[in-house]
Amino acid sequence: MSSLASPEYGWWKPFPRHEKLWLIIIGVAAVLLSIITIVWAVSGKQNVPVASYNVTPAAFEKQVADFTAKHQIPGATGEVRVPPGEDAFLMANMWSFSPVLHLKAGQPYTIWMSAKDVLHGFSLAGQNLNLMIAPGHAYGVRITPQGPGTYLIFCNEYCGLGHQAMTGKIIVE
Amino acid sequence: MAVAARPSQDFRTEFRTDSLLGLKIHLPAQNLFLANAVAAVLALALAGGFAFLMGFTRVPAIGIFSQNPDAFGRVFTGHGVSALILWPIFFEVAALIFTSTMLLGARIWSNKLGWIAFLLMILGAVLLEASVIDGVADVGFTGYVPLVASPFFYLGYVVFATGALLAIINFALTLAQARADGVLKGTLPLVTYGAATAAILATVAIASGLVALVPTLLWTVGVFPSVDPIFYRTWFWGLGHTLQYVNVVAMIVAWYALAALTFKANPINEKYGRIAFTLYVFFTVPVLGHHFLVDPSLSPAVKILGGTLFGFGLGIPSLMHGLAILGSIEIAGRNLGAKGLFGWLKLVPWKEPGMAILMVSMALFAIAGWSGTVGTTVQLNMVTHNTMWVVSHLHGVVVGGTTMAFMGLSYYLVPLAARRQLFSRKMAQIQPYLYGVGLLIMVVTLNWAGFLGVPRRTPDISYGGASPDWFLSMNLAGIGIALAIAGGVLYILNMVLTLTHGKKFQ
Repeated sequence: MSSLASPEYGWWKPFPRHEKLWLIIIGVAAVLLSIITIVWAVSGKQNVPVASYNVTPAAFEKQVADFTAKHQIPGATGEVRVPPGEDAFLMANMWSFSPVLHLKAGQPYTIWMSAKDVLHGFSLAGQNLNLMIAPGHAYGVRITPQGPGTYLIFCNEYCGLGHQAMTGKIIVE
Repeated sequence: MAVAARPSQDFRTEFRTDSLLGLKIHLPAQNLFLANAVAAVLALALAGGFAFLMGFTRVPAIGIFSQNPDAFGRVFTGHGVSALILWPIFFEVAALIFTSTMLLGARIWSNKLGWIAFLLMILGAVLLEASVIDGVADVGFTGYVPLVASPFFYLGYVVFATGALLAIINFALTLAQARADGVLKGTLPLVTYGAATAAILATVAIASGLVALVPTLLWTVGVFPSVDPIFYRTWFWGLGHTLQYVNVVAMIVAWYALAALTFKANPINEKYGRIAFTLYVFFTVPVLGHHFLVDPSLSPAVKILGGTLFGFGLGIPSLMHGLAILGSIEIAGRNLGAKGLFGWLKLVPWKEPGMAILMVSMALFAIAGWSGTVGTTVQLNMVTHNTMWVVSHLHGVVVGGTTMAFMGLSYYLVPLAARRQLFSRKMAQIQPYLYGVGLLIMVVTLNWAGFLGVPRRTPDISYGGASPDWFLSMNLAGIGIALAIAGGVLYILNMVLTLTHGKKFQ
């Protein structure tokens, strides 16, 4: 019998002992992993964002502009202070994130993000939070900043020649 | 069957009996095999050249193009196109030809169709590489719309895919003809069965790719006003993801062949491997969901079912094959008189290039395959998405697994088809370990970098000095990259010199 030649007639035989054992080990592993995954999804504290809505890039741009105008920090163009309890909006476009968000430590926020032009990615440096941002979809990310500081946002999906310089900021007060 | 009724030309002049394996070889099929294998090696050489520039751009201490995003755009697009599309598919077409003709002692269904397929693939490859090098396709091999490249880039993909599809049709008809000719009796040999599984998956991949790429091509020439980014991304991964499983299946075909060729190690049970190959057909497609685990476009239920649960299912056949092949090697060792639990490991011919590469390939595929299984979970994906973790995983499975397995097979099949001895057996003995250690260092350091959050696909990670302390992990990866490049050069040199200077068989 060889992998390189047709087997002789009658090759469809019951599995020998070893193969039965392998199949049991593999089957148990696959079933256990699946059960853990489902239990974890239902009752664990998974925090992958689930909220999203469809929005045209132009409509989202207007939402961001209205939000920015409403909460603009006097004297600091493009920076907003988000009152706790209100949703924040963040737009990704070639090659920046806007506006700069000022958040309060310990307060939960939902940040809605979408893209104006091409696919982008949202990464929060040092925090291991990586998400996709697509034009046409707004993604609602729930975060609770833990401590004050300036956090770097950078783009994680290749979006053209300015990609490596595409950054934004979240300032936690 | 009507298709199989083509009259043979002179039977005697079209065949030769090979002195290495005793195979009856159809000469037109042999030439076609060689053409595809040579194209594959050239594509790998290009991929390696891009890998050198790409790799040492990502090592911050060297940073070749870290201040030159324009050049980086070309290099990383070229690397993806050459290493993930051109090299594996050219080699897989060669493997389809080998398993359907030379191995069975059968003739190819249509020599002409084979060459048309090959020339289309070459034309597509030239269009792709030319538009990349010319700098009109700085979009990555994924080409996510609405990033836009020259129409010639997408045309290159479409022409290449059409050629590959014709090669698959030729493969299917060759098998039907072998049956009608009476050359193929009973069921297919295990490796041919695996190749047929790969061909089925490849057909699905190509169909999905055409759905993404044809509208995009029409968009770039002004026929369509726009292509939806999520529509493109979904169908593109129908191609990209399924193609990776074509690579996995073809890798396993190469593993079985290497175990049989170098150690006469054959599976205990013919049924087991065939069932495992068949499982890939059922589990592969839904798992494209794992590319979208942190996308806004899919519901969590779809992500968990398609990305995670089917992902575990997809691990089943890979584990089955891995155990079956290791088991067959153990049995072959025991048949030679090995004693004790691990005594057979001493009898494994570690200095035989094909066996060395088989063992290294299985080890790297296992490590990166397990990391991939873990990475299909939604929560962890949020940590690792688009970081160097992805690069670690895919280099382990695609380069450590598939590329190494193909290299191993080519050490035997290229000399067989070219009728020349391997130029240097010594080089082929060192190469698996050099390449393997380099890749292992890469897989480990880049995995670490990924968990630190280092992004992939960017020439520079300094962000004007604002980035965290990422640099040690990426600098250490440079050691692995250097060793892997050296191992790659050793392989390419050996192949080229075999074709030009290898000692001729009489």
